[in-house]
Amino acid sequence: MFFGFSKKVVSLLVAVLVAAAGCRAPEPRPFGKPRVLATTTVVADLVRQVAGDRAEVECLMAPGIDPHSYRPTPADADRLARADLVVASGLQLEGRLAALLERLGTRRPVLAVGDRLPRERLLPVTDDLFDPHVWFDAGLWSLCPPLVAEALAGIDPAGAPEYHARAAAHAAALATLDGAVRGRIATIPQQRRVLVTAHDAFRYFGRAYGIEVVGVQGTSTESEAGLHDVNRLVDLLVSRGIPAVFVETSVADRNVAALIEGARSRGQAVVIGGRLYSDSLGEPGSGADTLAAALTANVETIVAALHDGGR
Amino acid sequence: MTAPWLSAMTAPNTLVAAGGVAAVGFAAGVVGSLALLRKRPLVGDAAAHATLAGVAGGFLATGRRDLPTLLAGAFVAALAALGVLVLIRRFTRTRDDAATGIVIGVSFGLGIALVSGLPRWGLAGSGGLEQFLLGHAAAITGRDAAVLAGVSLAAVLVVAAAVKEITLVAFDAAFAAAGGWPVDWIDALVAALVAAMVVAGLPAVGAVLVTALVVIPPVAARLWTDRVAAMLMLAGLFGLVAAVVGTLVSATRPGLATGPLVVLSAATIFAVSLVVVPRRRQEGS
Repeated sequence: MFFGFSKKVVSLLVAVLVAAAGCRAPEPRPFGKPRVLATTTVVADLVRQVAGDRAEVECLMAPGIDPHSYRPTPADADRLARADLVVASGLQLEGRLAALLERLGTRRPVLAVGDRLPRERLLPVTDDLFDPHVWFDAGLWSLCPPLVAEALAGIDPAGAPEYHARAAAHAAALATLDGAVRGRIATIPQQRRVLVTAHDAFRYFGRAYGIEVVGVQGTSTESEAGLHDVNRLVDLLVSRGIPAVFVETSVADRNVAALIEGARSRGQAVVIGGRLYSDSLGEPGSGADTLAAALTANVETIVAALHDGGR
Repeated sequence: MTAPWLSAMTAPNTLVAAGGVAAVGFAAGVVGSLALLRKRPLVGDAAAHATLAGVAGGFLATGRRDLPTLLAGAFVAALAALGVLVLIRRFTRTRDDAATGIVIGVSFGLGIALVSGLPRWGLAGSGGLEQFLLGHAAAITGRDAAVLAGVSLAAVLVVAAAVKEITLVAFDAAFAAAGGWPVDWIDALVAALVAAMVVAGLPAVGAVLVTALVVIPPVAARLWTDRVAAMLMLAGLFGLVAAVVGTLVSATRPGLATGPLVVLSAATIFAVSLVVVPRRRQEGS
């Protein structure tokens, strides 16, 4: 009897010990450094440029991922909840993440940079919905670093001067880039200054740099191009002698294959001008892992294909 | 200057897509008639819902996403789903329709999980597989259309070669079995043909709607005739007309999806048949 009782006690003790081991103290946070979670690679680059080494910047979506159709997992919700600051692209780019971000915003600082840009400089899609792909207009995007600096200063007041200084430098670099891109695009013959892509993510780019942008798909990757749209595009390619179309790293390219074939059957040789970075930057080390590098890479791809492709 | 709707209908991309879809529509009508005569019209539905998982599987297994590879994957998955259906039917007391419901739900769930999951698990190039959910006729190239036409022709030739045996089994399976016919194998052949046509219908019509291609034209044709050969031809013709009309109309305006228009054209043929064919005939059949 005594023996049996002690066995019970032992097993109870074991159970308590196991339970205690299970609920460890929460993971210690690196001291001092604020943790910032950016949603897309583009926004992560923006935050890194402004934060420098003062903050730990993580990116929710890996390179190559389409933010329109990104579905948050419970693990993502956890990462979002543990960040000191969340920076999103906004303007409904993160379609399925938006509701989560909104709820999070009541408890934690959340900055959606696109939502803070002046309305009159945005391109409307419908009455109260704007095209979210603002980053390839370097001039417009140069308004974002100060917003990020302000948000970072909110969670790390001691670093405010550093953040603001770096934001000003980054904004100036973007302004310089803006001028350089405009100059490069202007070298393409006017007639052929048309950018046909699989996904209409370049409207701001087109407006800023004077190149007509025509998408095979709508603004969101989720709307399908029908036969009508493909026929209309074939007409355009043939009538204006456009030698190249572009696919993007994060969007399917079967549509583009059909487009090229249609134009070829009407005597217009069209090639795939190369891959453009759109909703996602390149992998680290790809040479396009910052916005400036990706934009420059895109511009060189476009100029090379539209300039020389037709000869 | 031709009317814009006419030039849209005769544009190269439209004609290529219409050609491929027309071949599929014809063969799907013919093959679907056999399934209908065998009183198993929903075989196609079970096969169709499994194809999405097969498309994703084909991509995962090969890393390629050209149409023949993806469709081969879809065909394997469709056959697997039908195999599971046969096993459930044979080894459990589950009713036929309940078994079909299980297979549809599970295989479709698997397909959606894969197709929506792959892009965000960071698999490069896995975007665009969801096009097979609702179909995407605008992406059909000349080579794709040739593949679809080839599959359709093969299916029709198989039907032409085996129509006598299939009809016998369809009308009196017990008699055929007593006469020494391999009823199970003939049933399997019909199921495989249906699976092949469902798969061929994917690029234009998509996994959700493609069942309509193997069900509606045969049902409409059945209203018109009691003769098997006539029914097969008529169902094929209805399928072809629905495919061509749906594809051409979808090219006239932006925002018109091809798959749904093909299905609606087929439904229109069925509705007209209901009105035009004398009621006495319909009741007698």
